[in-house]
Amino acid sequence: MSLQYLIRRLVQIVPAIAAIIVITFVIIHIAPGDPVDAVASGNGDDQYYAFMRDKFGLDEPMWTQFRTFVGNVLGGDLGVSFAQGQRVSTLIWDRLPSTLLLMGSALVLSSVGGVALGLLAAKRPFRFVDLGISTAALMGYALPVFWLAQLALLGLAFELGWFPIQGMTDARADYTGLAHYRDVAYHLVLPSLVLAVSEVALVARVARTGLIQQNGADYVRTAKSKGLSANESLLRHALPNAMLPVVTVIGGRIGSLFSGAVLVETVFGWPGMGRLLLQASENRDHPVLLGLVLVVAFSVVLANLLTDLVYAWIDPRIRFR
Amino acid sequence: MAVALSLLATACASDDDDDTAGGQTPTTGAEEPVRGGTLVVALDGSDPGNLNPAVTSNGGVHTASEPMFNGLVGLDTEGRPTPELAASWAVEQNGAVYRFTLRDNVRFHDGRPMTADDVVFTFEKALLPFHARTRASMTSAGVKVTSPDPRTVVFTFDAPYAPLLQQLNVTEAPIIPKHVYEGCSDISTVPGCPPNRAPVGTGPFKFVSADANEIRLERNPDYFRQGQPYLDTIVERFIADQGTKTLALQNGEVDWAWMIQGADIATLRADRNITLADAARGPGGGNCVLTVAFNLRPPAGRTAFFGDLRTRQALWAATNRQQAYDQIQFGQGKVATQPIHTAIPVARATGITLPAFDANRARTLLDQAGWKDEGGVRVARGVQGVPDGTEFRIDYHGFAGQQIDYGQALRQQWRAVGVEVETKQEDNPTLSANVFRDRQFDTSAISYCNEADPLIGVRRQYHSSQISTTAFTNAAGYSNPDMDRLWDQSTVEPDPARRQQLFQQIQDLAVRELPYIWLIESTNTRAWSSNCTGFNIQNTGLFAEAAYCRQ
Repeated sequence: MSLQYLIRRLVQIVPAIAAIIVITFVIIHIAPGDPVDAVASGNGDDQYYAFMRDKFGLDEPMWTQFRTFVGNVLGGDLGVSFAQGQRVSTLIWDRLPSTLLLMGSALVLSSVGGVALGLLAAKRPFRFVDLGISTAALMGYALPVFWLAQLALLGLAFELGWFPIQGMTDARADYTGLAHYRDVAYHLVLPSLVLAVSEVALVARVARTGLIQQNGADYVRTAKSKGLSANESLLRHALPNAMLPVVTVIGGRIGSLFSGAVLVETVFGWPGMGRLLLQASENRDHPVLLGLVLVVAFSVVLANLLTDLVYAWIDPRIRFR
Repeated sequence: MAVALSLLATACASDDDDDTAGGQTPTTGAEEPVRGGTLVVALDGSDPGNLNPAVTSNGGVHTASEPMFNGLVGLDTEGRPTPELAASWAVEQNGAVYRFTLRDNVRFHDGRPMTADDVVFTFEKALLPFHARTRASMTSAGVKVTSPDPRTVVFTFDAPYAPLLQQLNVTEAPIIPKHVYEGCSDISTVPGCPPNRAPVGTGPFKFVSADANEIRLERNPDYFRQGQPYLDTIVERFIADQGTKTLALQNGEVDWAWMIQGADIATLRADRNITLADAARGPGGGNCVLTVAFNLRPPAGRTAFFGDLRTRQALWAATNRQQAYDQIQFGQGKVATQPIHTAIPVARATGITLPAFDANRARTLLDQAGWKDEGGVRVARGVQGVPDGTEFRIDYHGFAGQQIDYGQALRQQWRAVGVEVETKQEDNPTLSANVFRDRQFDTSAISYCNEADPLIGVRRQYHSSQISTTAFTNAAGYSNPDMDRLWDQSTVEPDPARRQQLFQQIQDLAVRELPYIWLIESTNTRAWSSNCTGFNIQNTGLFAEAAYCRQ
């Protein structure tokens, strides 16, 4: 991979993000509803509405509002939330670590768990274990995250008492240091598991298919005939080559993982960007929505780039120019 | 049980003792309050950001921040003013001038004394420009707030202004310190005014920290009501999902929830570790009446289904409000008995009978109005203002949850008399745009919060000047010069007895003309761990002022 390639890919991000911003801006502005409703919350007369619209710059033509927005973003300013009165960058920055923690854990869980399940299933294709895993994976993929989250909450947290119901920390304790991290980890288990389920299912299925395919390939058969055990040939030869589609799936799922996080955060009271997004759309909070879309779009594009880089790393045959 | 408790709470209004907030829930016997401990509070939605209740009427900001503030006066369970930051007051010139004497022992959380200057500053710089409700009602009355001396605040109006004492509690007019907020470049935002995220007030609890996970408050040891509060810490958690909130209450992670709705009420009522009570006032508004507005003023090109009074009477008669209530409300609130919420003492009317459910009468009235039954949906044959052949198919707009549940109930009930309804579930901004801005609706659910006085929360529903694109104004588009005149008289009428008469006449007229269906008087159901007690359920800001939890 050349530096030139990397630069070209980075430059390509710019029009993609720009297009996303323009489309989001237009959609938000043509959506019915007045952002002042959220601050007036059922009160306020015509004068109040006019005053706030003027303050928020909502009376300007859309083109002027767009130019101001783009100018501010280029200057590093995402603006101030209409409804929350806080800088959008602060709002996002406060919630980014929680969301990254949740999504990151789910990503690790689903990648490791998915590949492990794929290996188990591929070891003896179409036998009992494989059928069990494949069926479970199909179900896991089909389950709506929202429903699964509530089920987990009711069963594992409420009835069995194994996990807390809500939040990122224990409200009654004021832990510091190691105890704090343990507390956060304890609160993280259930939401990240729920978020990981559909991803695990997908990764497991893709890994299984890839492994079975590679396991039947000539080079694996050669390795086996030279005396390598079934396990060794699966792990050492088939696995690396079956990883390409798995990496594609994982890298391509960042966007959907975020949309899952929106639901999981809402159900578990997890203080992340997902809930901010939900609240901002209910409030028609243009600056927050645009800021979030910008951050998420950037992450997704970046994740795709990383996926391509990982490709080259695990498969030396791939060269980017 | 909730109903019984709320009755109990109403019956046991505490004495208007100078040092006791009004409206506390009765606690068992003469139990000695327990000092210390943490109360975990569930807030709906997510971190509201700004924590200054003086610059917004947003319910999320208010629930989170009010415990750090006080108003000049409090309100007891009957909605009567009680001394808070003001020790006493005098009403002069028939209600055009109000003179308040402040307590002399009140300090802000930073130790500086609270003076009349702070009150004037709060009104001029925060409440009158930015608090939507206070602004809308007081600015048009020409209010001027002055401080002749550090202990005296004077409110002067262009004409007698009756509702003022109902508008000075911590929800409507929280007092903020001038010395902290006067340096702000924009008092309505956090970047323009950093104290908005670390507020300083006079309230029973002081600010400790706020992030997206939780807000922490601690006991104000210098609170002017000596000895209070009893709790050491309040932790506010953001729980957007209703089901999660209910589970967290049941397993003890949360001690107090502001609002429980629907089936969760039944769940919690069955749990003996949880206590429930109904409050008429909530942080986002109070004394709300869920209504269905008939669109009497559709835009060009839209059928005016409800121009004929008999049509409105018919839909009233087709509506079984009690049955819908039984299906939907789980005992929360009550079926409305008059247009204005009965928790407003001055608006309690006599001799009002709302049209009863009578499907046969509905059919007769529809026939008379020209809506003929030709098998299936009724068809217009000579209906006033409606082209012949038009089918009686209308829409119904509402928010998810209770309002849409009512829509489904009405759909069934109205179908029985030949009117077909399509329910349209919308979020708040979409409904505002369709109903108020564009008037593209036939019927719409609207929860009108009547607030502490009809002039604040009810006038906007009936006065013709309130037919506006602004949300929560006169949705029906109802216009009647007699109605306007009655409101105009009540605006400048200071005498309580005379006001009572005017509000009676207003309601009599509304019941004759039926621009709305008044479905229910809503209440907010609060729920808390039975381990804790002493809550003031009617006042958001003071809810935990005298609360404590047994260890």
